[in-house]
Amino acid sequence: MDVNLMVEVTPLLIKAAWITIDISIRAIILGFGVACVLVFLRSLQIKPLQWFSRGYVSVIRGTPYFVQLLLVFYGGPTIGLTMDPFTCGVMVGAFNIGAYMSEAIRGALESVESGQNEASRSLGFGRLQTLTYVVLPQAAGLMIRSVGVLAIVLVKNSSLVSIISVVELTYQAQRLIGSTYKPFEIFTLTAVMYICIVYAVMGIVELAYRRATRYTTLVKRVQ
Amino acid sequence: MELDFSPVIAYAPTLLSGVGVTSLIALVVALFSVLGGLLVAVISVYTNKVVSWPIRFLIWLFMTTPLLLQLYFLYFGLGEWILIPALMVGVLGLGFHYMAYNADIFIATIRSVSAGQYEASRSLGFGHLRTLFYIIVPQAFIRSVPQIGNNLILMVKDTSVLSAIGVAELVYASQYAISVSFRPFEFFIVIAIVYYLLNLIMEFGQARFERMTADRR
Repeated sequence: MDVNLMVEVTPLLIKAAWITIDISIRAIILGFGVACVLVFLRSLQIKPLQWFSRGYVSVIRGTPYFVQLLLVFYGGPTIGLTMDPFTCGVMVGAFNIGAYMSEAIRGALESVESGQNEASRSLGFGRLQTLTYVVLPQAAGLMIRSVGVLAIVLVKNSSLVSIISVVELTYQAQRLIGSTYKPFEIFTLTAVMYICIVYAVMGIVELAYRRATRYTTLVKRVQ
Repeated sequence: MELDFSPVIAYAPTLLSGVGVTSLIALVVALFSVLGGLLVAVISVYTNKVVSWPIRFLIWLFMTTPLLLQLYFLYFGLGEWILIPALMVGVLGLGFHYMAYNADIFIATIRSVSAGQYEASRSLGFGHLRTLFYIIVPQAFIRSVPQIGNNLILMVKDTSVLSAIGVAELVYASQYAISVSFRPFEFFIVIAIVYYLLNLIMEFGQARFERMTADRR
């Protein structure tokens, strides 16, 4: 173990870790938007839109993220879709995780009893009001948990973006190994940084979960 | 934009051999990760903390770091001392990665088999190991079929990552053809379709197997 070297490369790796975090946050936010659109299309009573949503989810979940990344980055220019590596990583990550998230969100919404929906509608709430005031608060806990798991998957998948030469954690690690020939030390440090990021995500998810379920757990305790 | 699939057809044999390698890797890794995961889970549940904690730590480590990093670590990191062929590293790396995920599931299902089963089996004269082998593990295995199936489906897709360390599977096999023909879009579309078909087969198999075992769960 070369401790001096590890201390020396830490700032460089932290800088690269920020790129990993940056890419992940953008992809998660955009992916959540994609997922909401997919769930919305699926909930409409228009068959072609439902087919589109289901087909999209099936195709995205049925092909590897890695191949999607290569297809868009190297194949994109053929169909006039030229992006810089960072944007490509964010877009592919978002459109990939969006498909998984849409299933998670749909599952959470369907976990709320249909009686709740009917009762709310018969009390005079509109469809949107029912969703925001009745269904979402009850589905939020499960939704946050399952979206959180996917966020962690996305952080780990973001290492694949190094293949299209985005200078994130894994790429930086490889570059440093190229100049120092100390793979063991540098990979250990990189792993520690991934673990820190994953735990930070887990912490945020847990906080959000507690906040979202503070009333529902209270109701359960009273019952 | 004009698509030309003729180079894909010209290199069809290369792609087919890539599909073969991918399927073979997937098969070996599936066996390795399921059987290994089961063994690891049994060891970690039924031994003392000195043995089980290091195992838990390794499971945790494999689950919290990216697959690509683990592959690089095995290939380049251990390359400092021993040089393992890429194919071996790929199979072992992917195998250990999914072994950790499978072991995590098996640990939960082994715990879910009630303690009464163990006690009843022991009182009927089975020894400790026989009880585990004939009573506990089969029940736990049947219960974990759906989740293990999900993991295996993810695993087949993750075989594509092995191309990053130069294993000659589907994606890597087409790299040369792409660099010669300058037709990345067509090739990657075809590769994506192949993976989609593999995935459909896996999903079909998972559904069949789940139905077969449903009444025993």
